[in-house]
Amino acid sequence: MTPGKADRQGSDLLQGTLDVLILRVIALGPIHGYAIARRLQQMSGDVLQVQQGSLYPALHRLEKRRWLRAEWGPSDTGRDARFYALTRLGRKQLEEQRASWARLSAAISGVLG
Amino acid sequence: MRLPSLRRFLTRRATRIQDELQFHRDRLIEDHVAAGLTRSEAERRAFLEFGGLPQIAEEVRDVRGRWLDDLAKDLRYACRTLRRNAGFTAVAVLLLALAIGANGAIFSLINAVMLRTLPVKEPRRLVQIARIVPDGGPVGVSTPLFEHLRGNLPSLSSLAVHWSTDLAVAIGGAEEFVTADLVTGGYHVTLGLEPVAGRLLTPADDDPASAMPAAVISERYWKRRFGRSPAALGSVVTIRDRGFTIVGVTPASFQSLRPGRVADITLPQVGLIDELVSEKTRRDPTTYWLSLIARLKPGATVQETDAEVQVLWRGFLQSVAAAAPENERAEILSARAGVLPAADGVNPLRYDHRRSLLILMGIVALVLLLAGVNLSGLLLARAAARQREVSIRLAIGAGRGRLIRQFLTESLLLAALGGALGLVVAWWFGTLLLTMVANGDAIELAVAPDGRVVAFTAAVSLVACLASGLAPALRAVRGHASPALKEVPAHGSRRLGQALVVSQLAISMMLTVGATLFLGTLVRLYAVDRGFDSDGLLIVDLQSSRRYGDQRSRAVKQALLDRLRAVPGIAAASATKVLPVSGSLWTKAIQVEGHASGSADAESAAFNVIGPGYFATLGTPLVAGREFEDRDHQQSPRVAIVNQTFARAFFGAGPALGRRITNAGVTYEIVGVVRDAKYRSLRDPVIKTLYVSWMQRQGDGPTDYAFLARPATRTPLRFAPIVERLVREVDPALQVRAAYSYATLVDRSLVTERLMATLGGAFGLLALIVAGLGVFGALAFQVSRRTNELGVRAALGATPGAMTWLVMRQVAGIVLPGIAIGTGGALLLTGLSRSILFDLTPTEPRVFLVAALVLATAAALAGWVPARRAGRVNPLMALRHE
Repeated sequence: MTPGKADRQGSDLLQGTLDVLILRVIALGPIHGYAIARRLQQMSGDVLQVQQGSLYPALHRLEKRRWLRAEWGPSDTGRDARFYALTRLGRKQLEEQRASWARLSAAISGVLG
Repeated sequence: MRLPSLRRFLTRRATRIQDELQFHRDRLIEDHVAAGLTRSEAERRAFLEFGGLPQIAEEVRDVRGRWLDDLAKDLRYACRTLRRNAGFTAVAVLLLALAIGANGAIFSLINAVMLRTLPVKEPRRLVQIARIVPDGGPVGVSTPLFEHLRGNLPSLSSLAVHWSTDLAVAIGGAEEFVTADLVTGGYHVTLGLEPVAGRLLTPADDDPASAMPAAVISERYWKRRFGRSPAALGSVVTIRDRGFTIVGVTPASFQSLRPGRVADITLPQVGLIDELVSEKTRRDPTTYWLSLIARLKPGATVQETDAEVQVLWRGFLQSVAAAAPENERAEILSARAGVLPAADGVNPLRYDHRRSLLILMGIVALVLLLAGVNLSGLLLARAAARQREVSIRLAIGAGRGRLIRQFLTESLLLAALGGALGLVVAWWFGTLLLTMVANGDAIELAVAPDGRVVAFTAAVSLVACLASGLAPALRAVRGHASPALKEVPAHGSRRLGQALVVSQLAISMMLTVGATLFLGTLVRLYAVDRGFDSDGLLIVDLQSSRRYGDQRSRAVKQALLDRLRAVPGIAAASATKVLPVSGSLWTKAIQVEGHASGSADAESAAFNVIGPGYFATLGTPLVAGREFEDRDHQQSPRVAIVNQTFARAFFGAGPALGRRITNAGVTYEIVGVVRDAKYRSLRDPVIKTLYVSWMQRQGDGPTDYAFLARPATRTPLRFAPIVERLVREVDPALQVRAAYSYATLVDRSLVTERLMATLGGAFGLLALIVAGLGVFGALAFQVSRRTNELGVRAALGATPGAMTWLVMRQVAGIVLPGIAIGTGGALLLTGLSRSILFDLTPTEPRVFLVAALVLATAAALAGWVPARRAGRVNPLMALRHE
């Protein structure tokens, strides 16, 4: 797949971080966008400031890469929402990114002592 | 996909992104409200935290890829604009549907007649071996030729001959007439057919000793006669007092070896054929009455078989020539034969209609071109009207490619609508065409659109619309943004518009020339001197379930004629073996006493066997001598009548009466000379013709003759029921197969010409209307654009007449180049139709003159309305217009 315009724009560290965080949240089970935003806020507290709006381009990008699959279903309030779930490809990605993050953070910790 | 669901599909993509974002924002607001904020404060916070929905939606769309969304947007936009311009859309779609439908219909005929293969195993391995006549088509083989070829062609895996006829059959006592194929046993094996029930014929069925020969029926007849009952197998069919056992059923997909014909029953020829076909026909080596179908061995080619056939054919011709009189040998040896691919069976339709179908395809292609140019013009006018909108969009940064795509989407939508409607038109029109071609005959061809026709129609509509949409789209987005904002239509688009109208006129000119040629041909054919009066004549064809000996045959024929003449209101009646202008030609080699033996051709003549009073009934005057009378019978001296051309060819200015002619060992004395009359067709020139009396001939049954009756009142069909009763009374085994007027026969002989004239005329008329609309549109636009100038002219004292003339001069400026270009195009193309024209050359100046006048008149009428309006412009109106 050739990366689109938006793909290239955001391929920095932070973006990669956001992607892996989203994958991590979704790995817990099918979940809609608003709940993902909530969970991200809880998990990272005030350390990572995620503009909620930027969540959606990321979700659709991951869906387009076939890491996520999405479908409409009733939410807890009864209103229909779009639920995301990991695909097999997404799960593999999550494992890989987790491992590489662990390697990276171990290396950085090692340097910083 | 149906249209509403397509629309839902396209709109869903766009709105569901909105829905998803909406859900998020609403939940955010709800949570803030639950935390104690006021509604408005909660909304403000949500906006800060989440951002604006449209912006996010755009970002998401960027991620997802825009192509489909853009297409959806363009389609919705196109739908909207087309609906807003309902008149424009209706005209464009209607014309497109007509043009595409006409193309689809002609193509479906070509598909059915020329492209479709027989529904059998490996049809590409089927070949036909036949004598080939110079003017195209294969004829068939004679029985001796078949026997000469059979077993001597190593490249074939099997072969069979086939002959079709109508037969009276009796099943369980009830008698009915069916269509029958009489074949040799290898027929079904050669075709590679599989039975749907029982078994098919095999070479073992050729056994003449078989007490109960086999018969195979078609699936259709099985259903019609037996309601698909398995009990049909084993039933006995009686034909001419012989019993046949039904052993199997052929599949429904297979109609016959001959496209357009359905055989109810297939029988082995052995035995039965002797009853149905005269000994002479069966034994004559040069009567090519059988169709020979063969299957190539795997890997063998048509060329291989052809090489084998040529060797055998030369040997065959030499043996035939050796047995023939000296003066006939050269002609016999000049005959040709060959092997032809027969994947579509033995297909005379292809040879009969190929040329006219291809010409029609050319005509409808021109109609499509015309519709395309017309659409182009309409789109251009709409693009000009949208110039401001386009300029603004260009000015605020829209890409040209994007805009072109939007214009083309509109064309695409028109293509889809026109194509879908066109397919319906094609189906309806194809059926209508087939009825016209069949003209009362039973031609059973499926012209319902199949995959190939649908694909063709889709491709045609797509190409037509994209081609006609591209130029206006390119034109619309060309040029700079700012000057166009001043609302002065670009000069270039006016020139393009003018060029489009000129091309419409040029195409219309070509179609009008074609229409004039075909209509002229038809008129001249109907007006040509036939040499007989066909008006008000009744023709009666007979069929019988019995075979007649000479004695009985003569008695029945005489009785039929006597009874016919006795019917009150019938002024004259007779009979003939060959009906004039029915398409049949019967020639005989003759020796004329006292005439120097010239070339073989000079000693052959058209031949016919007729009843007494034939010429009086037909209305052909005698020039000298007498007609056949009842006194010319079996025991009296043989007599003959010749036509003027015959007399002139052999006797010059000298007397013909009393001269002697010999054919096949029988010498006739000429007792009469008649005026020339058409023989095979209205088209063919009169040929030397020799008539002999039916009472002096052997071997013909009453069903070999067509009976003619001339009612005094000229209302032939009123007498059909009387004749039907009368025939039954004369002989219960006899039955009227068809009773029709001679006018019907003449019409039927001109099927192709009438088809070409009708379609050519209809499309010519359509072209005139389209060209007229084009001229009207162009002129109306010009007049409204020049209102100021015209006002100034009026103020300076120009008379209304002068101003009208000014505009009409512009009409001439469009029409004259149109006619000139159209004339050039027509001159290039009309040559292709030479063979179907009559008494007209493809470049006949009068035809072009008539076409040009018709077109110019149509254009002048169309231009007259705007020109009159121009004449009425006054300075005040012009000021208000500003």
